[in-house]
Amino acid sequence: MSLRQIVVEWLDDNYHFGEAASLIRDDEMSFLKNGILDSLGFVQLVLFLEKRLGIKIDRKQLSPKNFDGMGKILAFVAAVPGYTGPR
Amino acid sequence: MTAPVWSPRPGARASQMADFARFASRETGRDLTAWPALHAFSIEDVGAFWSLLLAWSGVATEGSRAPALEGEGVEAARFFPHLRLSWAATLLAGPEGASLDAKALVAVDETGARRELTRGELGARVLALADALRARGVGAGDRVVALARNGAEAAIACLATAAIGAVWSSAAPDLGVDALVDRFGQLDPVLLFASTSLLHQGVATALAPRVAGIIDAVASIREVVWLDDGVAALAARPVEVSRLSALVADAPRADVAARVAALPRHPFAHPLFVLYSSGTTGRPKAIVHGTGGTLLEHVKEHRLHGDLRASDVLLFVTSTGWMMWPWLLSALAVGAAIVLVDGSVTYPDDDALWRVVEREGVTVLGTSPAYLGYCRDLGLSPGARATGLRAVMSTGSVLSEGLFHWVREHVGDVPLQSVSGGTDMLGCFVLGHPDLPVWPGEMQCVGLGFDLCAAAPDGTLARVGEGELVCASPFPSRPVAFVADADGARLHEAYYAQHPGVWTHGDLVELTARGTARIHGRSDGVLNVRGIRVGPAEIYRVVARFDEVAEAMALEQAAPAEPGGSRLVLLVVMRPGRALDRPLTLRMKKELRDRASMAHVPAVVAEVPELPTTWNGKRSERAARDALHGRPLQNLAALRNPACLAAIAEHPALKLDA
Repeated sequence: MSLRQIVVEWLDDNYHFGEAASLIRDDEMSFLKNGILDSLGFVQLVLFLEKRLGIKIDRKQLSPKNFDGMGKILAFVAAVPGYTGPR
Repeated sequence: MTAPVWSPRPGARASQMADFARFASRETGRDLTAWPALHAFSIEDVGAFWSLLLAWSGVATEGSRAPALEGEGVEAARFFPHLRLSWAATLLAGPEGASLDAKALVAVDETGARRELTRGELGARVLALADALRARGVGAGDRVVALARNGAEAAIACLATAAIGAVWSSAAPDLGVDALVDRFGQLDPVLLFASTSLLHQGVATALAPRVAGIIDAVASIREVVWLDDGVAALAARPVEVSRLSALVADAPRADVAARVAALPRHPFAHPLFVLYSSGTTGRPKAIVHGTGGTLLEHVKEHRLHGDLRASDVLLFVTSTGWMMWPWLLSALAVGAAIVLVDGSVTYPDDDALWRVVEREGVTVLGTSPAYLGYCRDLGLSPGARATGLRAVMSTGSVLSEGLFHWVREHVGDVPLQSVSGGTDMLGCFVLGHPDLPVWPGEMQCVGLGFDLCAAAPDGTLARVGEGELVCASPFPSRPVAFVADADGARLHEAYYAQHPGVWTHGDLVELTARGTARIHGRSDGVLNVRGIRVGPAEIYRVVARFDEVAEAMALEQAAPAEPGGSRLVLLVVMRPGRALDRPLTLRMKKELRDRASMAHVPAVVAEVPELPTTWNGKRSERAARDALHGRPLQNLAALRNPACLAAIAEHPALKLDA
């Protein structure tokens, strides 16, 4: 499963129940500003990714700059030093 | 040994609690200045305590304060049967000497919109709307319902309804149509106030379809009043439609104080609010709360336990559907300004709420463990925005010890008052205290007037120990009735049947030797997820729409990593030949969100072969909960299918590390 699918599945399981893929228009779309995810969910998503992918994300980097949108998530995770998981 | 996380400062101004203790000492000729003595007096001479509180508070009343208590026992005793008063008039008047030019209310939303009303402006609008309601034939005892955002208009509508003696019942706008009809449909309401849209996280959702759904199902509604001037496309319905802005447009500013003072007073037990409590079966209980009980309990909590004053600015994060909303409005009675927040508290930025706290000069902030945990997880350190705070309050669910330390380190050296009570008594049993230390993980004290005990399974009551939370003294804010319960049988069954002679609340409590308390969650099947109380019955009604599912059981599972410390799980037994798969799981979740609310959506749906059932056919949530948490299984002989518990205990999806 690709990282994109992992994120979409999590959004479906917790917020959009089968509609997440159709709601995300493109990789640049802000999750926070378009009702894809609220801030509480945003933190939960990052905690989920840490656990699911076995990575550790510095809380100082836990900001919309790095995670608010599919493209940002994919890029951030791929850049985690030593990360070899799904992309 | 654990040390307090906060202690009162030597030389701090005298608290209102201390002032009341001196007053009570003078009046009784006893020394009640020490907290244990004052609390003991309040539960040993219940009528005298509440009567003294009323006298000390200065709340305007008509009639006689005697007797303070009529009838015997926790269930039958009635407070102040010859007294008349007005919740709305007390709030609008404020304390003696309150200026009509003082700030009464600030309403902000997540877009940054802000509206401020002085006490005079608020009073003028409430009086104008009260006149408009009367002109429409709404009178004392009529029920008025509201699907309302947490804004100034909702406060005006609520106060106007109460001012004429009508009964107010509101719901948050994120509730689905089925859940709304289940609630409002019980009341035969004559009028519906409604916001035109719901705002959350930058997305506005029109509420007209939900309003139409309510009107279609609740035939008694004669008129809809839109609370705001947003677009409201309501297709033709047999009701009058108006706008609040038009009804209060010409609100005269003159003589507000005199006209407020002239508002009618109502009997102490006159219905004021209907709130809802959803249980494991049937429709939500529609709980009727009375005028005097609500007012007196809130005055006690605000002034004595919270030391709230006219100089305070109180922000409590709540929706109009929660019991903390009327609690927040009641703070107008002490002269404090209140801040209403609508929409997400984390939008458009993580620290959106803290910016409101800073900008509005909030002195007392009320929030929840889920929100404080979120701030901690995000690494926020909002102390610089919270320099005006003198207290933080938290309720809704259990506040972990770690969050006490987090507030101390990252918000400031202020008392963190964890309080707990609920819809059933429109207040809090365990509260803060301005002159006592705050111990991490503990609530500072039992509220005055509450003989709180922990009941053991055999019914033994103890003032120190763990058990079912019961109250052995009568208190004014007990419900005056349930709707559609003429003989009071359901009311009796809900609170007075389990342990005869006392009020049984439905929480598990630990009362410590130093007078503090810890709440350990619910003792019944009611769920509390992320601070929101969810009735399993509402979940079952939606799940029943799925032919594939034979039966279901909703449980709360302790989950320390989740916001609020727990998660909602749904066990389902499938019909023969059917299996639970991902598409079905998602459809069930979506249906629960749309028909009930997001709070009703389980984190996990797990298929199990059977649900634990007793020999007389009753499903045992307790056995399932114990299995879910890996606790020792008790009284297995009472179950006809104890083997099914292993499937729950070992289900991979129900493991917290799954």
